[in-house]
Amino acid sequence: MTPSTTSPDGARRALRALTALLFWLLVWHLAAGVLDWRMGGRGNELLLPYPLTVLTSLLELAATASFWQTVALSLLRILAGLAAGTLLGVLLAAATSASRWAHRLLSPAIQVVRATPVASFIMLVLLWVYTGRVPTVIAALMVLPVIWANVSRGIGETDPQLLELARAYRFGRWKTLRLVYLPGALPYFTAGLTTAVGLAWKSGVAAEVLCQPRFAIGTQVFKARNTLETPQLFAWTITVILLSLLLEGALTAAIGRLGRRRGG
Amino acid sequence: MIRIEALTVAYGDKLVLDRFSLELPGEGITALSGPSGCGKTSLLRVLAGLQKPQGGRITGLPAHPAILFQENRLLPWRTVGEQITDVLPPARRDELPRWLALAELEGEQDRFPSQLSGGMQRRLALARALALGGGIYLLDEPFTGVDPARQARLMTAIRALNVPTLLINHEPSAVRLADAVVPLDGPPLTRLP
Repeated sequence: MTPSTTSPDGARRALRALTALLFWLLVWHLAAGVLDWRMGGRGNELLLPYPLTVLTSLLELAATASFWQTVALSLLRILAGLAAGTLLGVLLAAATSASRWAHRLLSPAIQVVRATPVASFIMLVLLWVYTGRVPTVIAALMVLPVIWANVSRGIGETDPQLLELARAYRFGRWKTLRLVYLPGALPYFTAGLTTAVGLAWKSGVAAEVLCQPRFAIGTQVFKARNTLETPQLFAWTITVILLSLLLEGALTAAIGRLGRRRGG
Repeated sequence: MIRIEALTVAYGDKLVLDRFSLELPGEGITALSGPSGCGKTSLLRVLAGLQKPQGGRITGLPAHPAILFQENRLLPWRTVGEQITDVLPPARRDELPRWLALAELEGEQDRFPSQLSGGMQRRLALARALALGGGIYLLDEPFTGVDPARQARLMTAIRALNVPTLLINHEPSAVRLADAVVPLDGPPLTRLP
């Protein structure tokens, strides 16, 4: 694809996204205005602040060093959980795909992890590990089943003709894994990872809210709610959304590069 | 001499090879010709060790056959050069230009299969099977989508490798270039000595 065809497409996409964003900001502003009018100008800051009020609050927060410290530490916790959950998910998918016994033993356990409410896990993990590590463990536990299910499906759907080729061409186990299974499972892995990013943020921040580590977005959300600083609550929530979108964007870009590497 | 004796292959109730027997030369290029679906591919798969026959035996078959499948089976995520170096042991990696030249794919080594024409993909799959090497080449429709002039050049190149070769081909131009042609009937193949 040439730059001359990419740029107008990119500009059109950006314009469409901006239009949608402006539309929803307008809806938000109108809703806040209606609430303001219904309450006679007393209380919309508490229930639904105007977008501009939230933006001001966000800018004020961003001007402090503790905001960035909080963001960095939350990001670190969630990324660690995402990485651990992804690694474990891939390893378990390889094990359950390679061995019927491993599948019989591990699959029910992973299904249980998937079905358990995140709040139950947070309370349990809070008993077992140091408070600051709970969000990481929770994010990993939420990510693991998603990655496991996607990678397992990818491995299961490997082209049997390519597997026969690997056998006929004497590839051996490692070479077959490297050249056939892993690249074949990559689209499933990346789809799972994109879902997992959102899950890691949601569950990680929920764990921070409940276990209150120092310098954590969840802790700030909890404090803002307790002190009825609704604009700050919105500002921290928007921060989480932006971080999640940024991480997802970075992953999508990496996937795009891999796609070009595959000649797609 | 490769001797096939009373070979039986069935898929469920469908007999493909019915106590099929044949003697094949153990050198040069031998073309197996016969109608579509007569069991030629099944015979090649048995010779390659990819399919267990229900009965019969094969003697005199050289070790480590290299098969070219009827489908290209190229790895979509590997470049032209990688498809070939993937089958070469580390000590033979420097042979890449030789195999690219044989398939007339010089200058294409960084492209992916999806960026090649059908004929180019077939030549790449053929070059990969030949590069793999072994005691015998088993080539299933190696010239699909390849023009007659290239077929002749490829046949010359295959002959120069001096490895016994069995090929299945519908192209009369290629069959004519083989050292021996074995006509087959079927299905099922029931040829007896």
